[in-house]
Amino acid sequence: MTTRGHARPGRMSGRAGLGRVIGRLAVAALVLGGAGCASLPSGGQVITGKPAERAERVDDPYVRLIPVKPRPEWGPAQIVSGFLAASASFDDNHKVARMYLGGQSSWNPGLRPSVTVLTSRITEPQVVRVSANQATVKVLGEELGTISTDGQYTASPKGLEATFLLAKTPQGVWRITSVPGDDKTGLLLSKDDVERAMRTVNLFFFAPNQQTLVPNGIFLPVVNRQTLPTQLVQALLDGPTSWLNGAVHTAFPAGTRLRHGVQVDKEVATVDLTKQARAGSVEQMSAQLSWTMRQLSEIKRWRLRIDGETVTPEGMESTHPVHAWEPNSPDGQVPQGESHQNAYVVGPSGFLGTLQSDRAQPVVTGAAGRLSRPAIAPDYREFAGLSSAGDQVLVAAPLTGAPAPRVLLNAQAGSRFTAPTWSRDGTLWVVESKKDESWLWVRPRGKPPVRAAHWGLGGREVSAFRLARDGVRAAVIAHIDGRPQVQLGRIAHAPDGSLDVGSFLPVSSELQDAVDLAWRDYNTFAVLGRAKRDSQTLPFLMPISGSAITSLGVGSLGEPRTIAAAPGAPILIGTRSSGKDQVCRQRAPSNSYSPWICPTPAKDPNYPG
Amino acid sequence: MKADMKRAMRPARRGLRALRRVLRTAARTGYTRWRRSIQVRIVTSTLFISAIVVAILGAFLMQQVSSALMDGKVKAARLQLDDGLAQVQRDLGNSPEDGSKLNSTIERLKSRSGPSGLYEVYIRDTTDQYFDGYTTNELRQESVPRRLREELRNAPAGARAYTYGKLSYVDDRPSESGLIVGGTTGRFELYYLFRLEEEQRTLTNVGRSMAGVGIVLVLLLAAIASLVTRQVVIPVRLAAQGAQRLAAGRLEERMRVRGEDDLARLARSFNDMAANLQEKIGELEDLSQVQRQFVSDVSHELRTPLTTIRIAADMLYEYRDTFDDPAVGRSAELLQSQLERFESLLADLLEISRHDAGAATLDVESLDMRDLVLRVVGDIQGLSERKGSKVVLQLPGEPCMAEVDRRRVERILRNLLVNAVEHGEGEDIIVSVAADRDAVAVAVRDHGVGLKPGEGQMVFDRFWRADPARARTTGGTGLGLSISREDAQLHGGWLQAWGEPGAGSQFRLSLPRTAGAELRGSPLPLVPPGAGDARPLYAELEAGE
Repeated sequence: MTTRGHARPGRMSGRAGLGRVIGRLAVAALVLGGAGCASLPSGGQVITGKPAERAERVDDPYVRLIPVKPRPEWGPAQIVSGFLAASASFDDNHKVARMYLGGQSSWNPGLRPSVTVLTSRITEPQVVRVSANQATVKVLGEELGTISTDGQYTASPKGLEATFLLAKTPQGVWRITSVPGDDKTGLLLSKDDVERAMRTVNLFFFAPNQQTLVPNGIFLPVVNRQTLPTQLVQALLDGPTSWLNGAVHTAFPAGTRLRHGVQVDKEVATVDLTKQARAGSVEQMSAQLSWTMRQLSEIKRWRLRIDGETVTPEGMESTHPVHAWEPNSPDGQVPQGESHQNAYVVGPSGFLGTLQSDRAQPVVTGAAGRLSRPAIAPDYREFAGLSSAGDQVLVAAPLTGAPAPRVLLNAQAGSRFTAPTWSRDGTLWVVESKKDESWLWVRPRGKPPVRAAHWGLGGREVSAFRLARDGVRAAVIAHIDGRPQVQLGRIAHAPDGSLDVGSFLPVSSELQDAVDLAWRDYNTFAVLGRAKRDSQTLPFLMPISGSAITSLGVGSLGEPRTIAAAPGAPILIGTRSSGKDQVCRQRAPSNSYSPWICPTPAKDPNYPG
Repeated sequence: MKADMKRAMRPARRGLRALRRVLRTAARTGYTRWRRSIQVRIVTSTLFISAIVVAILGAFLMQQVSSALMDGKVKAARLQLDDGLAQVQRDLGNSPEDGSKLNSTIERLKSRSGPSGLYEVYIRDTTDQYFDGYTTNELRQESVPRRLREELRNAPAGARAYTYGKLSYVDDRPSESGLIVGGTTGRFELYYLFRLEEEQRTLTNVGRSMAGVGIVLVLLLAAIASLVTRQVVIPVRLAAQGAQRLAAGRLEERMRVRGEDDLARLARSFNDMAANLQEKIGELEDLSQVQRQFVSDVSHELRTPLTTIRIAADMLYEYRDTFDDPAVGRSAELLQSQLERFESLLADLLEISRHDAGAATLDVESLDMRDLVLRVVGDIQGLSERKGSKVVLQLPGEPCMAEVDRRRVERILRNLLVNAVEHGEGEDIIVSVAADRDAVAVAVRDHGVGLKPGEGQMVFDRFWRADPARARTTGGTGLGLSISREDAQLHGGWLQAWGEPGAGSQFRLSLPRTAGAELRGSPLPLVPPGAGDARPLYAELEAGE
């Protein structure tokens, strides 16, 4: 067109100009269109985002079992198998499991059933007796323990035998008419089923000092994620389980209930309590609820209502974050200002020193500096230790210079003391133990030591005793059937004022051997032990809830003997390798896979408190 | 209560009625505009057509986008499924049942699921009769449609299939659409269920923006159409206005010529045409002016010799008995009568040329029409008696006063009566007078031969005769009715004729009471009562006006 325009000037030039314009417009449109198609960026600045907050275990993904409905052609044994399988599904209030039951049965496990935990699934029910319309089916299994309706697990290994009665309905299908043990037995679930269907969550109650919260781990069925907050708060209102009953108390007055379910809207939860709650302390109730609800990642802030009215704890906004109430932490108040607590070690030349940039700085020298397994009181006013043979408990004060150690206790012949441990109020605790026997000694500040009136492990050998920072729970390494096992007990005060230290429960069965332990935080132990199929003693993190242990760090540690841990502080291990005492730490304490290094020639590391 | 209801209903009904009225008005206005304006029509049809095109395009684009999105999703989903199946195979293979192994596999599979995760998983062991498999989180097993399970069951080992369905959950969450991929390995069926929430949101966003763009595009097109038609329509409208004015007689009207496009050409042609017309009409006007002038001049010029001839003729007529030859006497009589006729012809010609030249003036006075009628009837009494006709008068009791020119109205009436007598065939002649607030009317009815259809108008033509063969016994000039009509029009009145062959005819003169006032209607009917039918009435009415 343009060439024609050039070739024939005159009248054509106008039209040629128009053609040129159209051509240019077309080119522009093509360019724009091309740019539009290629709109995905292939370069540009780096955009950073915040790290995703780690969801806690409570609302991690989970797996649900899908039950099958009873088939018409199934015989009695198959019906019982199907029922046992279907009862592991909590969907729709056990709707499918109910289909296996005859019309009259009042079987209703509810949201918090009692559960009998079996080692494995019952696969072969035995038909004991069968007539035209009636049948009796017996199942045999191996019981591990029970979970009561309040969520407390109690180990009770034994054989299980249960009998189901079945009848043929007018429609000609078999249905269960009688469930063994009525409603008490509740569900018969295998360990896998329990792990799948239930979560261990912590409820928080106040220790006797009214300041520190004590976690109370329970098993809670995960029906679905939406009702989880309501279930959790309801469980908290129900009070502590039998295990902690008497050792802790709750700020909720008796009879306090939820007016309706906990509503979560855009990460803000609303807890509405009945009017009985007016009698309680708003601050303490808020602390308990905050700590309990912070286990759910979908709740960031929450507000408390009593009888529909919003109440505001003193010094807070009506809607406050679940991470408030830090002073009530079960780990005690973490001192402000310092990044973490100073560790104390026993130096090679016989002194008690603090660990500063991998070097032991002497603090206490002289005879008191030579104590083994020293333990410093939380208020730094005195410290305790053992003689080198472990048959004497000595106390020294003050924590500076060269104080003279004072013998507090002398062991009986053949027995030894465990490393002493302090509670927040300055009470010293130590266990004296020999084979198949042990005693707990308690020395309140300024008073002579006494033996605890009730000590749950009196007939066992105890090789470690560590009090939790909340002062209510105590961890021990007790020898059960010749194998050292980590157990957790609680300290209660009997009505007459005497101490009751007992209700020890095994925490995990994954270690075949344990040497020493320390409280990493209120939920985790740092344990030196030997995992199954392991030949070396290694440090592990052991969650109190009983979930899987994780190994800590990599590299050789020689012969680890003692372990020390504190919230937010590096874990220290005292080892002995080729005849030399060393204190080891991880190169990067925040990374659990970081290798171990042993730069300090010292022994018996320990954190105050 | 019913009354209350009614009372309550009344305003509502009134409002409804008002609304309906407004709507109807709007619709009518819209329709009128649609009919009258090219612009409205073009803009409307552009809007309509472009909306259809944009809608089709939008649907097509949405289809493309959604299928592209889904293709990507399906591809990713199948990769995930392959990964999961490989893991299941690795972990479980076809080895005999081992609960813990299955559990650990499920644990691994679930790790990436959940509300924050990418998908939900459903795994099923086809050999286990007591369990229908495991799902992650709140997912219901019903989310896997039966058709997909059937498909996989019947497919060869290792097959993969996917479909879309609804994901439902055990909690109160509403079910949502999802993509479900499934595969088998050994005795295990593995399904991955992907939520399509994100895709749905993307599609909604894209759809919304596309709808917005589409609306803007359609409006833009309409605006462009409006602009373009405006550019075309405005000159056309100007041309139409020009033509209208031209038609109304303003021959000097011209269009403005701007530029050199088609519209400018139209304007130029229009102007040429207008100039031509003006020229032709001017020529015609000049010509008719010249003719009228000529007639007037001729009439004037004829009068002087006529006067002389008249004197001579009068003398001859006076002495006609003295001529010896009776034929000469007869000739003198003939001369006399023809001269009279010539004179009246000349007078009529002069009169009509005065009308033509617009020189006729009214000399009004307030008169009773009845007096005028009586006088004229008295004048023609002799003629009518000679013809054997009787004049019947129908006069109202009260005076019918009107501002009229006596001479002219008398002339009209005389003309009408003479005509009626002449064509009355000796029958009765009825003269009626009537008046209302604004007008007076006189109707003259005869029962003669009447008028043929179309003649109602022609009777007023100059020199028109009902029967050219008829003897001119009464010496009519052929201009009488023309002059009468001119006179009536000079008053602002009408002169109309009705007739039917055999039924006679009626002439009606309607005059406004005040000279020059506009006449809206006549107090008398044009068609006499009891005669004629509707059709000729219409025809004549149209002709009359």
